[in-house]
Amino acid sequence: MSAFLLLATRPAGAREVSPPAIARDLVAAVGWCRALRQWGLLNGFAVDPEAVSGVRSGLIVLASGRAVAERLASDWGKVSGCQVSVTRLCIAAPSARGGS
Amino acid sequence: MSKTTDAALVSVFRDEWPQLIGAAMRLVGDLQSAEDVVQETLLTAVDKWPLQGVPDNPGAWLMTACRNRARNVVRDSGRARQRLSSMRPADDWQPPEPEPGAIADDRLRLIVLCCHPQLTADAQVALTLRMVSGLTTEEIARAFQLPAATIAQRIVRAKRLLKENRASFLDQDGDIGGRLPAILDVIYLAFNEGYLATSGETLNRGDLAAEAHRLACLLTDLLPGEPDAWALRALLSFQLSRWATRTDEDGGIRTLDAQDRGQWNGELIRDGVWALGRARDGERGPLVLQAELASCHATAAAFEETDWAAIVALYDELTAIQDTPIVRMNRAVAIAMLAGPEAGLAALNPLTSDPVLRGSHRIWAVRADLHRRIADNAAAIADYDKAIELVTNDAERRYLQAARHSLAQETDMPTFRASLPELIARISSWACTRTT
Repeated sequence: MSAFLLLATRPAGAREVSPPAIARDLVAAVGWCRALRQWGLLNGFAVDPEAVSGVRSGLIVLASGRAVAERLASDWGKVSGCQVSVTRLCIAAPSARGGS
Repeated sequence: MSKTTDAALVSVFRDEWPQLIGAAMRLVGDLQSAEDVVQETLLTAVDKWPLQGVPDNPGAWLMTACRNRARNVVRDSGRARQRLSSMRPADDWQPPEPEPGAIADDRLRLIVLCCHPQLTADAQVALTLRMVSGLTTEEIARAFQLPAATIAQRIVRAKRLLKENRASFLDQDGDIGGRLPAILDVIYLAFNEGYLATSGETLNRGDLAAEAHRLACLLTDLLPGEPDAWALRALLSFQLSRWATRTDEDGGIRTLDAQDRGQWNGELIRDGVWALGRARDGERGPLVLQAELASCHATAAAFEETDWAAIVALYDELTAIQDTPIVRMNRAVAIAMLAGPEAGLAALNPLTSDPVLRGSHRIWAVRADLHRRIADNAAAIADYDKAIELVTNDAERRYLQAARHSLAQETDMPTFRASLPELIARISSWACTRTT
């Protein structure tokens, strides 16, 4: 399994919000995240508390390959209403010369 | 997440929407900015809650987040430093105690603002449905069967007009009494459009009527001392109680006598009776009388047990204070039911020269039925033709065409007594038609 970073971005000037519709989106997103946790695929997340537009949240997920990660990104995009990009994480050990 | 929790969240978002708009309005001062702040707050919840967990008190979380964001907007804009300096920290913020005569609830302030006298009735309705009910422009456009661009333009213009006129959210105290008729009218207008669509393929649009009823209930919560608000709630509850039985499986009209009263919504009827009781505490104005009329129909155990004498008496009372052609037309129908079609025609015929009524299909449909019941088929068919020419709702057109078709094919006319309930039932379904 490899780690992937899913970055969720909400385009500026997003659509008009309907309270019941957004509540239903929220319910779907909560269910999606719960399932991800149950499967042990959610390794970590970050949410920007001040975000107005641009990147709203980042998820570190585990997937067997890029295709699977992109499928997860697509699902997250559907339930969150965001555009989601995928980046494979290479977590390298600090180099011997690293640091000061 | 269980279905109950889902529904609870939907309910929280719907119920909180006008309160959030109100809270944001207090800080940012104009409707467009307030709407932007609230939309952003809800989107933030969608970003955070799935990952961080749904808070124990979602409404309080939304309110705090909304106020914080509104403060940021004010601070960033740099336009309202004095306002900012007078603010208290978010955590211990409490709404100020209302002063005597002040509007105590931000939702009510919002309704009052949306019904500003400088706005046209159309703009008032559109703005109220967006800002108070949270319907999107597309949903409102769909409900009124208008292009979304038209509704968007109405809303944008209304917001701009309010801004240009410096219509403030906070300085409306004392205006509520003067604006109550406009507020009631806006809700009534929205309900009527939902209950009996003026155009389009179907007879009604349930979401809009239900939303208007919800607004009427909200209004009585906010203004429990206003009999007219209770009367409107009663009227809409009675009308809405018959919702499920008004049309058949094909969307055709099912008249009052053909409706299964067992399927009427008893809870709404009880709510109507209770609300009418509260409305009776005040003056017997047009809304109270219309609610009384609706009550006569809603509480009759069977169509045959409808108290037509009471209905005629109520129309007499209504005519005395609101003498409009539509009230007179409805009264003529009640007279026909009580005293026979000749008496009904005698009351109706003078109204056919009324410039408003003669341009509406309704009076011709009524007269066609009355003519049919006295076996004057030629006159009935001529009236049906006029009604069909004028009607704009497809379901009603189908009903009228079917009635005309069956009349044209009839060789033996039905007896008056056998078919009169159909006429009355049809007209009773128009009872909530605006009387002004």
